[in-house]
Amino acid sequence: MNKIREILNTVLENRGKPQINSISDSSDLRNDFGLDSLDLAELTVRIEAEYDVDIFQDGIVTTVGEILEKINNKK
Amino acid sequence: MMKNILVTGVSRGLGLEIVKAILADDENFVYGISRLKTKELDELLINNANRFKWLSYDLSNVNDVRNKIFKEFIGVTTPLHGFVNNAAIAYDDIVTNLKYEPLLNMYNVNVFTPMIISKYVIRQFLLHNTKGSIVHISSISVHTGYKGLAMYASSKGALEAFSKNTAREWGEKTIRSNVVVAGFMETEMSAMLSADQKDRIYKRTSLKTPTVTKSVAETITFLLSQKAESITGQNIHVDSGTI
Repeated sequence: MNKIREILNTVLENRGKPQINSISDSSDLRNDFGLDSLDLAELTVRIEAEYDVDIFQDGIVTTVGEILEKINNKK
Repeated sequence: MMKNILVTGVSRGLGLEIVKAILADDENFVYGISRLKTKELDELLINNANRFKWLSYDLSNVNDVRNKIFKEFIGVTTPLHGFVNNAAIAYDDIVTNLKYEPLLNMYNVNVFTPMIISKYVIRQFLLHNTKGSIVHISSISVHTGYKGLAMYASSKGALEAFSKNTAREWGEKTIRSNVVVAGFMETEMSAMLSADQKDRIYKRTSLKTPTVTKSVAETITFLLSQKAESITGQNIHVDSGTI
C-alpha cells in the first residue's frame, strides 16, 4: 500500500498536482486523487515497471483496491 | 547524458543513413532493428560497437513487440528518447489486382507493428520522464499519387494521421511526434522502377532530381533533437520540392 502511494505521488508530482497522505482500498483514482487519462497511463507504466503487471490489460481499474487485487493475482 | 534512439529498418537504404546521421552526435546511442543483417549494417555495427546495438526482428510479427524489443533488447530500465519508424515494405500493384494477404502483411509491417511499438515507446518515455520524440517516415505518394502505389500510400497516410493524433494526445507530457515525408530516393525501394519511370517522377519535382537520402536522414536527426522542441504534429516534406 505504501509503495502504491509512493507511485501515485510520483505521478501527481509530475503533473504538478497536490500530493496525497493516505490511501485506502476504496480510494477512487479519478475522483479522490484527480488523475486523468494521461496520469492513469503513467501510473500503469510505473506499476508495470515495479510489479510486471499491466493493470489496464483487461479492463478499467477505478480504485486502489482494484490495483492491489491485480498485483496480488499475479503473485 | 546519452540519448537512446530506437530505429527500425536499419539494414538498407535510408535506414543505414539514419543510423549514421544519429551516431554523428557522440551523445547518441542507437537501438536498431531489422529482419536481416547486411554487409553495410555489419560494418556500421563493428565501427560503432559501443553506441549501436542491433536486434533481428521481423515487423510482420505483431505479437512479440513488448517481450522481444522492450523487455529483452532495450530493457525497461533504459531511458528512451526517440523512435524512428522507418521500416516499410511496398506492395505495388494496380487496385484491381489487390489481394488481402499481401495487403495485410504490408499493413502489419508498415502500420500495425509500428503503432504497437509506439505504445511501448510512449510508455518508456513516461516511465523515465523523457522529452521523447517520435519520427515516422512517410512518402510523397500520399500527397501526389502515382500509378501502382495506392496500397502503399494508404499505409503511409495512416501513419501521418496516427502521428498527428499522437502529438495532440501526448503534447502535455512533452512528447512530440512528427512525420518526414520523403520524395523518391535512389534506394532499393524504388529499384523496380524503370529509368523512364524514374525520370518522369523526378520531372515532377522543383529540383528535378531524386531526393537525397542524407538530407532525409539529417531532417530526422533534427526532429529527434531538442533543436526541434517546438515542432510537433507536423509533416515535413523532404522531397526535392515535389509539385
